[in-house]
Amino acid sequence: MIRVENLTHVYNKGLAYETKAVDDVSFTVEDGAFIGIIGHTGSGKSTLIQHLNGILKPDSGKIFVDDIEITNKKTKMAEIRKKVGLVFQYPEYQLFEETVYKDIAFGPKNLGLSDDEVDFRVKEAMALVNISFDEFAERSPFELSGGQKRRVAIAGVIAMKPAVLILDEPSAGLDPKAHTDILNMISMIRKQTGNTIILVSHNMGDIAQLSDLVFVMDHGKLASAGPPSEVFADTAFLQGIGLGLPPATEMAHYLAARGCAADNIILTRDELVDFLAETFGSGGEAK
Amino acid sequence: MIRDITLGQYYPGYSVIHKLDPRMKIIVTMFYIASLFIIEDFYGYVLIVLAVAAITAVSRVPVRFMLRGLKPVMIIILFTFVLNMLMTPGTILWQWKFIKITEEGLYNAVYLALRLILLIIGSSLLTLTTKPMKLTDGIESLLKPFKKLGLPAHELAMMMTIALRFIPTLLEETDKIMKAQQARGADFESGGLLKRAKALIPLLVPLFVGAFRIAQELAMAMEARCYRGGEGRTKLNALKFRRRDAVAVLLTAAYIGILIAERVLL
Repeated sequence: MIRVENLTHVYNKGLAYETKAVDDVSFTVEDGAFIGIIGHTGSGKSTLIQHLNGILKPDSGKIFVDDIEITNKKTKMAEIRKKVGLVFQYPEYQLFEETVYKDIAFGPKNLGLSDDEVDFRVKEAMALVNISFDEFAERSPFELSGGQKRRVAIAGVIAMKPAVLILDEPSAGLDPKAHTDILNMISMIRKQTGNTIILVSHNMGDIAQLSDLVFVMDHGKLASAGPPSEVFADTAFLQGIGLGLPPATEMAHYLAARGCAADNIILTRDELVDFLAETFGSGGEAK
Repeated sequence: MIRDITLGQYYPGYSVIHKLDPRMKIIVTMFYIASLFIIEDFYGYVLIVLAVAAITAVSRVPVRFMLRGLKPVMIIILFTFVLNMLMTPGTILWQWKFIKITEEGLYNAVYLALRLILLIIGSSLLTLTTKPMKLTDGIESLLKPFKKLGLPAHELAMMMTIALRFIPTLLEETDKIMKAQQARGADFESGGLLKRAKALIPLLVPLFVGAFRIAQELAMAMEARCYRGGEGRTKLNALKFRRRDAVAVLLTAAYIGILIAERVLL
């Protein structure tokens, strides 16, 4: 469980261009939950999540991970890194080893695990991100495709077996196929490991489909939090802070404006397909 | 510490100092550096400190911001200070076994340290109040006469512009990669020299790869916009010598004059 209390982070403190990147944010994340964080560029999402594994230190406020206060100076960071894995934006830029295997092994080795355990974890992580061990383990990470590189980089974090996995825009800049691969991979990881997952994304469709809870950040503040069906119901609010709706929801609005409203909010493509089939499909009649 | 280097960093502002012609500012800075070697007594230092304080006040660059530039070189300053204090022969003030501090040594040490500090603060003032682009424009313009001797003035200036432009970018990149590797349990802070040097590999490899990627992208972007060197190139904002620059030249002349007078007469 992660508990954040009144977290505030200020950049360039004391300078003319001082900015409050995170402003008095509090929330709780239950074990096994899937949290989606949305917000326009510069709303403080990335700054917020970098606090959750102690990479950034808050100016005020406290963070607890499983009741360990990670903002306490005495807390050993290695313990936190074991619990909370963070995949940064464009993680492929952090690859550095000669082979894919060595790169993924970097994290587990830093945890001081035995060679056997490291080997086991590398294999497990590669299976989870769907990168064939036999084919890629001994290849240089620099000769892979963009999507493959990214999956290798994510495997590097997964191999540390964190209980909480945070991903900062894991599909940014990828083509639709690689995008879908990454999303399926995240769902798979969740299913197999039961991790708590925190996903930061600009893609409302992904967030609506995957999250149990959605956090909306605006100007450093937690502007709204709730299940997707609630958060995405408030169209005016989302548009007011520069965000949009999931494509399926938008389509539903379009249909509603033309006299074909659904009873419940539609968030995903599947829901939309069901609704359309029910309304227009064989046996059904236009309302 | 990597974030504390102010050299080559611009502090945005609209003061007169910010607006001065960069060519003039570069020349004035050179004179200023020379002036540090004219003086050799207490009053001379008072004059220079006053001059620097006045310019800082006019430029409205926060003093704290400027002093940050000193942090990375503090060790060198301390080193010269201690060395001068202990190595200069003269009247002994204090002695403990073979370590002696002389009166002359103490003076020398204080003056030299002060000289270094003033040198850095003075040149930081140039870079803090001048946009990197303007700075290199100024350098290019000043180097033009040497073109006849085969000096590629424009190319040198362009290289400097690019280098300066990418300092913050590379710092940011370093910061990002460092965080990412820390998230994977990398430890940059503990261990012996060898271990620390080894710990830098996960940082340096991606940084170099990134630098080459950035360089390639930049080269392509420049070519796409038909960049082909300095020949026949005109400037959007041509440098102009204005009245305020003339005033600054006069003030500098007066400053140098006073310093020379102070040294000769007092």
